Amino acid sequence: MPVVSLPYTYLERLCGTDRKTIIDHLPMIGSDIERILDDQVDVEFFPSRVDLYSTEGVARAMRGFLGLETGEEVYPVTPSSISFSVDENLKEIRPYIGSAVIRNISLGNEAIISLMGVQEALHWVVGRGRAKVAIGVHDLDKVTPPFRYYGAPLSRSFVPLDFDREMTLAEIMEEHPKGRDYSHIVRDKPFMPLIEDAHGNVLSFPPIINGELTRVTEASKNLLLDVTGTDERAVMTALKVLCTTLITAGGTCESVLVNGVRMPDLSPVLRTISVPSCNRLLGTSFSAEEIASILQKMRYGAEKTDENTVSLRVPCYRADIMHEWDVYEDVAIGAGFAHLKAELPATFATGCEHPIIALASLLRDICTGLGYLEVMPFTLSNEDVMYARMQREPDPEALWVLHPISEEQTLVRTDLLPLLLDLLRMNKRRELPQRIFHTGDVVSSCKTYQKLALASTHPGADFSEAYATADALMRELGVSYIPAESSDPAFIPGRAVDMMVDGRKVGIFGEIHPGVLNNFDIDQPVAGIEIDLHLLFPMDQETKS
Amino acid sequence: MQLTLNEKRLLLELEKRGTTTPDEIGKILDRPADSVIQYGGLLSQKGLARVDRSVTKTLTLTDEGRQYLTEGLPERQLYNSFGESAPITELNNHPHARIGLGWMKRLGWVKIEAGKVIKTGQAPLSPLENSLKNPNDAPEDIKKELLKRGLATEEESVRYTISITDEGRRVASAGISLTEETGTLTADQISSGAWKDLSLRRYDITKHPRPIWPGKIHPYQRMIDEMRRILLDMGFTELHGSIIQGAFWNFDALFQPQDHPAREMQDTFHLAGKQDLPDGWEKVRDMHESGGDTSSTGWGGTWDPEKAKATVLRTHTTSLSIQHLATHPEPPVKAFCIGRVYRREAIDPTHLPEFEQLEGIVMDTHVNFRNLLGYLKEFYGRMGFESVRFRPGYFPYTEPSVEPEVYIEDLGWVELGGAGIFREEVTAPWGITCPVLAWGLGVSRVAMLRMGLTDLRELYQSDIDWIRSMPVVHGGRC
Repeated sequence: MPVVSLPYTYLERLCGTDRKTIIDHLPMIGSDIERILDDQVDVEFFPSRVDLYSTEGVARAMRGFLGLETGEEVYPVTPSSISFSVDENLKEIRPYIGSAVIRNISLGNEAIISLMGVQEALHWVVGRGRAKVAIGVHDLDKVTPPFRYYGAPLSRSFVPLDFDREMTLAEIMEEHPKGRDYSHIVRDKPFMPLIEDAHGNVLSFPPIINGELTRVTEASKNLLLDVTGTDERAVMTALKVLCTTLITAGGTCESVLVNGVRMPDLSPVLRTISVPSCNRLLGTSFSAEEIASILQKMRYGAEKTDENTVSLRVPCYRADIMHEWDVYEDVAIGAGFAHLKAELPATFATGCEHPIIALASLLRDICTGLGYLEVMPFTLSNEDVMYARMQREPDPEALWVLHPISEEQTLVRTDLLPLLLDLLRMNKRRELPQRIFHTGDVVSSCKTYQKLALASTHPGADFSEAYATADALMRELGVSYIPAESSDPAFIPGRAVDMMVDGRKVGIFGEIHPGVLNNFDIDQPVAGIEIDLHLLFPMDQETKS
Repeated sequence: MQLTLNEKRLLLELEKRGTTTPDEIGKILDRPADSVIQYGGLLSQKGLARVDRSVTKTLTLTDEGRQYLTEGLPERQLYNSFGESAPITELNNHPHARIGLGWMKRLGWVKIEAGKVIKTGQAPLSPLENSLKNPNDAPEDIKKELLKRGLATEEESVRYTISITDEGRRVASAGISLTEETGTLTADQISSGAWKDLSLRRYDITKHPRPIWPGKIHPYQRMIDEMRRILLDMGFTELHGSIIQGAFWNFDALFQPQDHPAREMQDTFHLAGKQDLPDGWEKVRDMHESGGDTSSTGWGGTWDPEKAKATVLRTHTTSLSIQHLATHPEPPVKAFCIGRVYRREAIDPTHLPEFEQLEGIVMDTHVNFRNLLGYLKEFYGRMGFESVRFRPGYFPYTEPSVEPEVYIEDLGWVELGGAGIFREEVTAPWGITCPVLAWGLGVSRVAMLRMGLTDLRELYQSDIDWIRSMPVVHGGRC
């Protein structure tokens, strides 16, 4: 989640209250306080609430929550004569653009920082790293409408932000820092998205970089917003959040005609909610008036229609209100979670263990009774530990991770014994004897199964110990087996047994091969056992009651 | 203080004698001197006696020496064999002539003039002659002489003396019982009743035993079992399922938008192969695109079934919860799962690519948000977290959402898990009409708080000493 920095003086001025009151209430409107500094507080807001990614947005919510100013904020939009044309050749590249004009704004340093912050957060959360949505803010007075959004050739050139020379689009993509960060979004397209004015001055090369020409400074009075992207709804959401933030910062909004469509539409979304259904979900008994009043604190326009209905004007920036329950959550937040009494329901049900987990508990009883200590190794492993060190061929059914994060974790384990040997290696300086076991999931050909493995190391660990232990284990499991000579290369020839039940190999035990011990850097002999539980106790792996 | 019978007897004898030798005590106790030295050693370890060892050299006359003791030294025998004087030629016939003549001269008993040996009249007993009677009393130079002339041999002998200490006197005077003591109780003694007449030796309880290490369940597993027991006690059914899941169940069925960053290769372990979509997947598609039959708007855009077929290592156990609900759409449902989940994170002390997650769900006709808070309070309370508070949260598949915090001494309020009511977009495709309360919790995080761990790896790559030393009954709850 993006971190939003809220400078105290600007925040206090916009909220109309002191910083302590604000900081105390921030968690209650849904934020994590990241750090409290001398001159600002840094907070994280949930990705659903993009309207809170600016000091202006937080102040708007806080004023309502504290009851200083409730109900919806109204955002008048007056028509301007400014227009945009969108070229057909962007249809497959980056077809959507939203625009608006903000006039008479006096941007202090704090407002500019806040504007950059909300832009960055929108790029990240709504824009998915600018791929879905990218935003440009321009000094309108430097350029001449009407504007044109079209697909330009790579040879087109202009002076990008932070540079003092003209560069071609191809050069920008290779040489400009932003070009290197974001050119992958438009690379290999036949044309590059470009915005220019009536005289061919370039405003922006979305989603990469603006032109130096329209750089916004504290002297800028009138702004032009461009929001481009691949998803119309996301483009409009970002535009609305930007416009309402700038209006709260003191500007007035004028609409722009984009291919004949007037925007932005900052009018609220009309909804009605059911009072009984809200109370049912929350477990409350609020009246329609109470719900309306709570929602006004949450900056909705809200009036009681009748005892069972509240009609709402949902602010345009609340893109997260997708469903009636989203409003109910705001009722709960507005009422304060601390005022909702926790209460257990009377749902009757009996507890029931899952048979696979119940079996694991029994195995732990048996193994600890045999004097073994439980360990819980990772389920992600690698071919070296799992096969090479064991002198075994890789399991063709093993499941490989497509993009491993390190060489340590390249596949999901198919056996447990190698992991026990690896743990014995880590513990080779610890007091002997060491007897350890583990039972848990392994994966083979995309299916999850359970296995059990035991290992014992000390100067006298040998085949006889493995045999006696495996024999006791099978006795306690109530399973009789036939020992067959094993050719598993992880064990010493003639000192390993395949345990056969109904003609199938269900497990193996024996004395670990000294070559394997060398591979694991273990100094003492090891007696090892591994059992395939799903062959002994076939159980449904999927969830069941 | 524990003393063996022999130690007691020795101590009592020492009390009478103060200082003595092993031989002397050995005779009284009817034990070899070596054993007495050993008892003395044990007493001295306890500070009751002192054993002093001294090495002495003893001279013993050889056969030749003993012969001379009775017959006199060669020079004396020669001296006595003639009168005032005798010619050398005559004395040379005497058996001791060679040795005797030289010594007589050296000792000044005779002088030789013109081939004749003449007595001086001065022939007192020499120190050597005197020493033959008691060679050990002789001065050192005479001893050397005896050895040099082969009249005596020297033997080294070690002598012990045992003396009582002040502490020994105190113990002895306090009274000592001389009943015979038994170390090992035998089967014969038990069955014959002989044990009734035995005094079983008492052990020194201040001596710690050598540690033994029992087999036991891993401390982390014990905590997991405790959570399971709490949930089973609360009437929940346990779920278990595959760690391999289709993206459909892991993300799409939970209303996670298809372009959500968490789904990417960056954050989620993807595996080769495709998973088939289950019956009813179209309703999930509709929910994403337009909100289906609900009041939801959906996410808009186009939902791609191919993306939903991707195979992943489950990133949460919620993928099991939703599958359980899909197959059990009728109320009531109370289910939980504790299982391993996977995130594509580099390993460091507080981040691991795999860890345990706990999840509980309750579906019933009239359950509500306050009931969810009730379950959270109850569960955390049983886990030992007495103070619980709630603040708003956000999860893509719940609404309302809540983040529970528990109060921990020295740490303050700590966020512990997340909860909410499953969105209608999640439940509606499966015909579920009742609210579903759900909460999840990072189990390893609780383990860190409970066991005071600073490195999560300790749970999975455990130091055996750590497992051995963690008590089964963990009193120190956080």
